[in-house]
Amino acid sequence: MTQIDTDLAMDAAAEPAPNISRRVFITVLIAACVLFPLLQVFVGGMNYYLHMLLFLFMNIAIASNWNIIGGYTGYISLGHNVFFAIGGYAGAILFAYFGISPFIAFPICGIVTMLLGFLIGSITLRASGPTFIISSIALVLLVRILLENWEYIGGTNGISLELVDLPVEYVKFPFYYLMLLLAVGSVAMSMAIRRSKFGLGLRAISQDEIKAEVAGVPTRRYKVLAFGLSGLFIGMAGALWGYYLTYLSPVIFLSILVGAKFVLMTILGGRGTVSGPVVGAIVFILANEFFVSQFGATELNIAATGLALVVVLLFFPEGIIGTLKEKDRLPKFLDWD
Amino acid sequence: MAMIEIKDVFAGYGIGPDILTGLSLNVVAGRSYCIVGPNGAGKSTLLKVICGQLPPRSGSVMFNGQDLAGLRTDEVLERGICFVPQDRSLFTDMTIRENLQMGGYILKDSAEIDRRIEGVLEMFPVLKSRLGLAAKTLSGGQQQQLLIGRALVLRPKVIMLDEPTLGLAPKISRQIFDSMNELKAAGIAIIVVEQNARMGLNFADWGCVLDLGRMVFEGPSQDVLSDERIEQLYLGRKRQTEAAS
Repeated sequence: MTQIDTDLAMDAAAEPAPNISRRVFITVLIAACVLFPLLQVFVGGMNYYLHMLLFLFMNIAIASNWNIIGGYTGYISLGHNVFFAIGGYAGAILFAYFGISPFIAFPICGIVTMLLGFLIGSITLRASGPTFIISSIALVLLVRILLENWEYIGGTNGISLELVDLPVEYVKFPFYYLMLLLAVGSVAMSMAIRRSKFGLGLRAISQDEIKAEVAGVPTRRYKVLAFGLSGLFIGMAGALWGYYLTYLSPVIFLSILVGAKFVLMTILGGRGTVSGPVVGAIVFILANEFFVSQFGATELNIAATGLALVVVLLFFPEGIIGTLKEKDRLPKFLDWD
Repeated sequence: MAMIEIKDVFAGYGIGPDILTGLSLNVVAGRSYCIVGPNGAGKSTLLKVICGQLPPRSGSVMFNGQDLAGLRTDEVLERGICFVPQDRSLFTDMTIRENLQMGGYILKDSAEIDRRIEGVLEMFPVLKSRLGLAAKTLSGGQQQQLLIGRALVLRPKVIMLDEPTLGLAPKISRQIFDSMNELKAAGIAIIVVEQNARMGLNFADWGCVLDLGRMVFEGPSQDVLSDERIEQLYLGRKRQTEAAS
């Protein structure tokens, strides 16, 4: 390497160039997602793909939102499906008892979830490391017992909701677009936090909490704030997903596997990065769908998905995006940090 | 006039016994201090009390006439007291720019932070050429430059370092003391707790000897170094060791 090459490499390290390929990629991607349902209008037979995409958008929203506490802040929560359940049930109550459609009420459900997140976080975040992880699992069990014994919302029998009154070929459209909106919103919030002073503080906490504290980061306040914010989009997704299923029961939202999936998607893509949870959700959902198609919805499918994850993480120990970034092999259009 | 006045402080952890048992110390602006003493004397505890990590059970810690009691670490930092805990100098996975930004984290004006960072980068050009790289990619000496640069972004009045050379090679330890000399030259008061007592006392203007949570001696560093009794009890008999070797 010549001196000029070295200087150029150093200049590149000194001042990041504007990432035009990233902007173009994201714009094209969103535009394609917005236009995709037109195929259903003009060609038809796209209901399966619409379902898969809206399910994917929901998981992108969830993984990106979880990344705020689990990735940036470094607090692994296995109990974020509690937020999913709270959002779902809040939407169901508002619809079943007050007649407010989840299409309108989902932001309220997200805010309610976030506020409860502040409250829960102010208690559980007194612990850290393995103790915090265990407390997050305990939270799932606790909320499940509560919901199973709350007759107002059907207890273990669950609660059924009215179907959306739309022709079958268009019934997925509102869910599709709202889930897309959540995915874009959740990633945008994640990106904004990653680039903010608040995000810098969270990442400092993730590296070393004491070091962050002595640098002036109000660690306790930031952790609680991150915990609450990490429930905002998950709560909204829960409200829409409950309406989409037209049936909610504690077992759907509050099994350990559901919470673990949020974590796995993010770790697979690369926690602590902006694009990692997006890539992780896509790979996870596609792999799972492939194995379901091969083995059916059995334990074999879960085992195969788990095995595939292990193999991927062997080659990408920091997640797909995290490892590529560390090795300086991440394509620019995927570097959203 | 003393900048920090520590009066008759008692402090300890949880429900455990007092580690500091009536400690008093005055810290004068611009002067450097080395705290020495045996294990369990309360050296690190003293720094934690000053920076707000450990509230005193009784006694007072005043900074420029203002009581620091009840203030959080970030609030103490806002007043200009910076603490570098043991083996916790840099955020190694963060970039050099982010490390410098962390130095000015408590400052509200981001333009002012950028200006100060630019000033630091003028002082240390090697950092400027590597701004986007992770701090862990720097050599030991460069990391020390970054550490000083980070402290200079904040422009604190006092820097407290707990065992800055712990577990480091002698060459890196010397680089750290060189860096501390630069901070001293910038007029910043330094309080250092150092296991290598001779090195620490040779650096500092003022030596403080702690034992069982109390100040047993304080004075100019050279007086501490030349005191036979202190040398025997707390510094080890270097001359005899040297003679034997």
